[in-house]
Parts: sequence; structure tokens; C-alpha cells
Amino acid sequence: MVETKKNEFRKRDLFYLVPLWLISLIAPDPYLYHKKEFKKKDLFYLGAIYLAPLIWFDLHFHHLMVLAGIYAILALGLSLFMGYAGQISLGHAAFFGIGAYTTAILTTRYGLPTFMAFGASAVSAVVIAYLIGRPILKLKGYFLALATLGFGEIFLVIVRESTDLTGGVIGIFGIPWFSVMGFSFDTYLKQYYLTWGVLIGLFIFSKNLVRSKVGRALLAVAASEDAASSVGINVPRIKLEIFVLGAAFAGLAGSLFACVMSTANPEAFSLGFTVLIVMMVILGGMGNLYGPVAGAILLTWLMDSLSKYQEYSLPIYGAILILLLIFFPDGIGTRLNVRVIYLIGYWAKKKKRDEGKL
Amino acid sequence: MALLSIEEITKEYDGIRALDRVSLKVEKGNIKGLIGPNGAGKSTLFHLISGVEKPDSGKIYFKEKEITSMESYKISALGMGRTFQTLQIWGNMTVVENIMAGMNRRLKGGLFSCGLWLPWIRRSEKEALKEAKEILNSLGLLGKWESLASQLPYGKQKLLELGRALAMKPELLLLDEPASGLTLTEVRQLSELISQIRREGATVLVVEHHMGMVMEIADEIAVLHNGELIAEGTPDGVRRNPQVIEAYLKGKKADA
Repeated sequence: MVETKKNEFRKRDLFYLVPLWLISLIAPDPYLYHKKEFKKKDLFYLGAIYLAPLIWFDLHFHHLMVLAGIYAILALGLSLFMGYAGQISLGHAAFFGIGAYTTAILTTRYGLPTFMAFGASAVSAVVIAYLIGRPILKLKGYFLALATLGFGEIFLVIVRESTDLTGGVIGIFGIPWFSVMGFSFDTYLKQYYLTWGVLIGLFIFSKNLVRSKVGRALLAVAASEDAASSVGINVPRIKLEIFVLGAAFAGLAGSLFACVMSTANPEAFSLGFTVLIVMMVILGGMGNLYGPVAGAILLTWLMDSLSKYQEYSLPIYGAILILLLIFFPDGIGTRLNVRVIYLIGYWAKKKKRDEGKL
Repeated sequence: MALLSIEEITKEYDGIRALDRVSLKVEKGNIKGLIGPNGAGKSTLFHLISGVEKPDSGKIYFKEKEITSMESYKISALGMGRTFQTLQIWGNMTVVENIMAGMNRRLKGGLFSCGLWLPWIRRSEKEALKEAKEILNSLGLLGKWESLASQLPYGKQKLLELGRALAMKPELLLLDEPASGLTLTEVRQLSELISQIRREGATVLVVEHHMGMVMEIADEIAVLHNGELIAEGTPDGVRRNPQVIEAYLKGKKADA
């Protein structure tokens, strides 16, 4: 009698446990800061990134994923600064813009090959981030947010006003496709592999960073700056380093963006864009490198699917964001996985209890 | 010269004198206790030594180097570890990572070598993990090495904070009220640990509210009262000092 009851219970459980288990295989690990080594899951992600555009062979999808990859690079850099070091930056779009304009100006005016302009974009973003970051990073919390916001706005004004260099409000057109040694990335599919390749490289770099002493120092700074300097961590310096690194990521992303869109204009780097990037980091989950990538894909897809309802897009967009923040305050993906682990644990306990009764 | 020497140090907050021309020396290899009633200026003195705040006048020397206006991370890097009165562990990291972050100063590697995970980074990370586990073992926290530090009970978090300071291999260890909020067994474990640290060669300066423990472990005791140093000497001498007795009695009355 009891035996059959137990079997029934198991079968019913399988109904939701199997799909949840499958999700847990795919979703990144929740909260486990210390489980930072590379795993089999990462190979699965690599395979998925390689196969997705081949299986779903659709130009629109390819283009969207190119954009998502570029935004993910940007969000990855910002997540090191926000999610790990616990600082706020609302001026990251400016570094994206600096990268885009450096590439645009160098390729159209001076005829530099794109891959050299790609490197130069990172360098110019790094130099400006260093000069801006040195004074600004002494500020904390909201003051830092405001100062970086101000920097972003100043950048926009400079771009709009210096018409000779940047083309003003109209921007710069005719930026060539990205090409290396004569190989031109002239289709969306090729661009997809280019951006996601760059993203994977930067992701591996970031992941190595956060599992090493640098990552621990960043988390220490986020939790308590006094304690961090009490063990000899140079707090201002590590903040500056990670700010500059984030800017370098943004510069690279901006350069790719300019090559893909073949244009650079100030509208693309406005405050709205900064908010979007911050949203990607928060929605994906702070203090987690998979988060920004997931957030970038989700928000890019969301923007695209809402663009059909142009006039209603803002309220719908806002409502979705609010709902996501209410139900997934720690970011998408990881939260789901927490549920799964909780349910499996519950089920295992219940099973033990039932067996104890027998 | 003494390992740490403080000369005529004064600090004011909004006209109130927290410390008034205090001079203090800590000899190498000693455990020095610093006691005094609430508001005597003990924690202020600690903040000044570790560079969290700067004195209005006076000088501080550590290992014969002037550290009066040095930044706090540089002072720590010279070999001074500390714990805080209000617990400051990093709750966003695991227990073992807290200890490994304490080793930060001793581990090599910058942004690029860590990001590229060069072979010698891999090696030093491995060694750091091994060493951190040994420290956790001596603290009795090895069983919880993978859980988040914020999930530990209060007493264990205090031990973890001490372990983090030890991971720096400091020459001078500043302990700010290490026994506050601990149970009797934990206090006993703590005083054993502090004696052990001294045997391994570190010098300890401990601020404590709780007289019993300091009297037991300290070689020398200094007493602060209203920002002034009123007595200094062996535990027995200090205990019999009439000024100390009066200050403590007054403090007790004010508390009650």
C-alpha cells in the first residue's frame, strides 16, 4: 500500500523535476562565487554559440545576435566594475562612443585598416578612462554615479559640437567592414563569429581575473574598503585598474559596433543607452559573469520585439523591467537554478522521510 | 628602538580631545594590552596607528619608519595586520577566499598576468589555497571552508577576521576588542590562539574592554582614560594602581 503511494509520488515529481533538472544543466551556477573554475557547462555554451546561427539561419537573427554580442562585451566590462568592485558608472556609453568614433575617424579620414583602428579604439578609451578615472574614482556611491553621468553628457556635447572632427549630429558614414589581412567580415554570419569570438576571449580573460587575487581584491573592496586596505590592498588603484579595463572592453565593443553599423552618430551613445547597459548588468545578475551576457541577449531581443509596437514600446518595456526586477531580483538564470536546487533538495528529503516511515 | 612607538599624539573631534599627548611603545615579541573605559580613546588610537585617520599632532614610528601620514594600505603592507571593533569580514566571499584575500600583499601578479592565467599564477593560487586551508585548520574553521562568510555564526566570523589578519603574516597585529560578543569557550580559544601567535614571533597590541582576558595574556598593560595615558606596566602593577581603580569604578557607575 505504502509502496504504491511512494511510486506515484515519484512519477508525479518527475513531471517537473526532469525539465527543471535540464534547466539546471544549462543555467549558470547560482551564488557560488567560489565555484569559479571552467566547467563542462562552458563547453556546452561554446557549442551552442557555434551552432545557434547555423541552425537558425535567418539574417535578422544573425544581426540581432551580432548586436547582442557587442552589448555583452560592453556589459561584461561594466559588470566587473559594478558587480565585482561594487561601484556605479553611468558614463560607460561614452567609452563605447569613444571606441566607435576612433574607429570611424581613423578608417574614413586616414584610411587605416580596421583591425589597427580596433586596437587604437581600445587605447584611446584606456587613455581617456585613466585621465577621467583618477580624479573621479575618489567619489563614492551616488556622487560617483553623478560624476560619471556628467562625463557621459560632456562627451555627447563635445561630439555634437565638434562638427569638423565627428560630423556633428549627423555623424560619420561609410565605415568599412571589419577586415583582417584581406579577409573581410562582410556578412552577418561572419560578423557574428567575429563579435562572439572577441566576447569569448574577453570572457575567459575576465573569468580568470575574478578567480585570481584580483577578483578577491575587487570583492573585498565592494564589501568593506577599510578591511581591504587593512590587508594591504591599494583600493584607489584597483578601482582605477578595473575602471580602465571596463573602458577598454567598451572601446573594443564600440569599434565593432562602428564596423557593423558602418556609421557612428551621437544618438547611439546617449543616456538611454547607458541605462540599457546598466539594465543588462542588473537583470543578468551582479557579481556573475554569465549574467551580463544573458542580460544583453534578453534586452536586445526585447528591444527588437517591442519595436513593432513603436508607440507602446516604452511602457511595455518599463513594465517588463519592473516585473523582472520584482521576480528575479538577483538576475535571470541564476534565480531559476536556485529554485531547482531547492526543489531537488526538498524532494530528496521527502523521499528519505518516506523511507524512514517504512 | 621599539617595533611601534607613538610619540605625543593628539587628536581632536570637533573640539573634543579624544587623545591628549599619548606616548606608547610596543616592544618586539610582546603582547601589549590597551584598556580603558568606554570613550577613553582606545579605538581612536587604533585608527591612528593603522592610518584610517590622521593625528592632529605627534608622530608614529613602525619598524623605525615614520608612518604618521602614510596611507593605510601602505602601513598594512609594511607588516601590520588588524581586526576591527565592528566586525568587517567580506560576506560576499567564501570563508577560504576571505583568508586568501588576506594574503593579497604576498601574492604576485597584476591585471594581465591574472587575466591570462599564466603558469606561475596558477601555481601561486594553488599554494595560496593550500596555505589558507592550513590557517583555517588551525582556527577550526576548515569544515566550513566553502560556505559564504556571511553564513557563519558571529563567533566564527570573529575568528575568521583574526585568521585574515594572520594570513598577512604580520609583524604587528592590532586586535580591537577581539573578545566582545564571544562566549566563554570562544574567549578561551581566542586567548590560546593569541599566545600561539606570539610564540610564532608576532607582536600583538590588543584593545580590550574585558579585563580578565587581557590580564591573563598580556605582558604589559597601558591604561587610557579620557584620552590620557594614566598608567603603564605589568598586569599586577596596573591592577593595584589607584588611578586605574578609580577610572574603572567611575566608568562602571556611568554605565549603570
